Amino acid sequence: MLINPRNVQAVARKEFYHIVRDYRSLYMAFALPLLLILLFGYALSLDVDNVKVVIVDQDRTELSRDFAGRLDASAYFDLVTHLPDERAAVAWLDSGKATIALVIPPRWTENIRSNREAPLQVLIDASDPNIGTISRGYITSFVERYNSRLLVDFLGRQGFDNLRPALEGRIRVWFNEDLESRNFIVPGIIAVIIMIVGAMLTSLVIAREYENGTMETIRSLPINAVEFLTGKAIPYYLIAMTDVLVALAMGQLLFGVVMKGSFWLMILASSLYLSVALGLGLFISIATKSQLVANQIALLVSYLPALLLSDFVFPVENMPRMMQIVTWIVPATYYIDILNGLFLRDVGMGYLWPSYGVLLFMFLVMAAVAVVKMRREGL
Amino acid sequence: MPVTTSTPEIVSVKDLEKRFGDFTAVDRVSFSIDRGEIFGFLGPNGAGKSTTIRMLCGIITPSSGSGQVAGYDVVRQSESIKQTIGYMSQKFSLYEDLTPVENIRFYLGIYSVPESRWDERTGWALGQARLEEVKDRLTRELPPGWRQRLALACALLHRPEILFLDEPTSGVDPITRRHFWEFIRGLAREGVTVFVTTHYMDEALNCDRIVMINEGRIVAMGSPGEIVAEACPGEAKATLNDAFIRLMTRTERVQGPG
Repeated sequence: MLINPRNVQAVARKEFYHIVRDYRSLYMAFALPLLLILLFGYALSLDVDNVKVVIVDQDRTELSRDFAGRLDASAYFDLVTHLPDERAAVAWLDSGKATIALVIPPRWTENIRSNREAPLQVLIDASDPNIGTISRGYITSFVERYNSRLLVDFLGRQGFDNLRPALEGRIRVWFNEDLESRNFIVPGIIAVIIMIVGAMLTSLVIAREYENGTMETIRSLPINAVEFLTGKAIPYYLIAMTDVLVALAMGQLLFGVVMKGSFWLMILASSLYLSVALGLGLFISIATKSQLVANQIALLVSYLPALLLSDFVFPVENMPRMMQIVTWIVPATYYIDILNGLFLRDVGMGYLWPSYGVLLFMFLVMAAVAVVKMRREGL
Repeated sequence: MPVTTSTPEIVSVKDLEKRFGDFTAVDRVSFSIDRGEIFGFLGPNGAGKSTTIRMLCGIITPSSGSGQVAGYDVVRQSESIKQTIGYMSQKFSLYEDLTPVENIRFYLGIYSVPESRWDERTGWALGQARLEEVKDRLTRELPPGWRQRLALACALLHRPEILFLDEPTSGVDPITRRHFWEFIRGLAREGVTVFVTTHYMDEALNCDRIVMINEGRIVAMGSPGEIVAEACPGEAKATLNDAFIRLMTRTERVQGPG
């Protein structure tokens, strides 16, 4: 089957006109990706900072005020208000206006000074277990640090200078130094956008020809399946790659997410992954011949897996074994793996080639399946 | 390469058959068409007219039998056939969200017409279809008759040797139909062969030769006069319409139980 570039060009140009004439597809192609970046970037922050704390200070000493002051000064906490009693604090937790309620009991300072136990009551709202767990970690380490400071002060006054703890972990975070989930979210959004433009939009384009009866014209013209499908895919390839660049720029401008790895490796990975998506969308379109059905199926097999089963929103490690196996056939899994390597770790082909290989294989399979299906339909 | 350019026949089929599962849509038909002929293919709905035309255009592959169109084999050379013929399907099938000019350019691209000739061919097509005034309007805004003229012009952009028209005048008003047939006769005078299916008997009179088909089988063949004389012998006032009804009901009786 020879490929005549004129035929490809004629179909691509025609397809481009369809897109320009249909404001809904224009919106899907350009406005929706922008919306997703803003939505995910700002709303889907998986980070926990500025945990809201209310304090009930029943001790009312210099030390208890110092404790509250240091808590407020910490970047992890936001001291919302002081409350008169525990009941009021519980009400704040109930209403969700605070995550942690701290109760400093009466004679707290006195107990510390006289070397007795001086408990602090900490109530944590764990209705979101993620936030609850992280808040507990924050407050535990804060209390511990405050403890050792008290100890060092005390020993210092007793004449012990140059004290240092026996053990000190020197922790360095690699690959995502600020522990910012945004650094992780931008690659995920790009993967989702490519699926929307590549698979969901193209799932409509051949079904539309069947619904309008123009497929009969195409069949009567001297054009083969490869030329027809390639021509159909080209405008969407260009749109999706534009979206990728826009997402990259927005990630950098709005969220300060800078890709560390090679730009061209990123383009290569995006092209491969996008080609898988295009093949998938076109195949769905040929197989269903109905825009409505095609759109539903594309949503189910392209967009949702890219979102849910790709290590983007939900960590694959935490999934049951069966689901983990399912994620192996989700193209976004490999694409996000590559993007994380390029965005966060600055690794090259040496580490990433298996994922590139899988995407290439998936593309060849999808393209073959789509072309064979199209030929069976008489093209 | 066409191998039979010297012979006057541009279409010849022998025992052409198309089955869809148990259903035989076209049952071993054989006929031939000469160059420059207007050839009518008549029959009731579901008789196998569209299936035959689609086999001849290389859109579907025959189940058995053989045939040549413009010297190319209908089974093995469908790509070459598509480049040589023009086809207008029963349903309007241009892109309604494109303008006439954009539709024309799509066809020019697919027919591999050299770009140096695009302006000339576009001008010719708009002139033929009398659409110069509305060439940049969306096709969906045009009246059905105008769209039909555009579809016809598009099918002729690459100067095909033979034009296949599947019920081209269904749903078109009488005046447009008259214009349409004048245009078809003009094409035939220029040497273009026209293969047309219809179930309007008055239109069939414009054909040089007619094949009548019912339930996938040829029931009559010849010029309109010959067919009337054969089907209604001794009836001086019989029309093609009478002949058609007689032929179609006769086959049903033959194929009925008993």
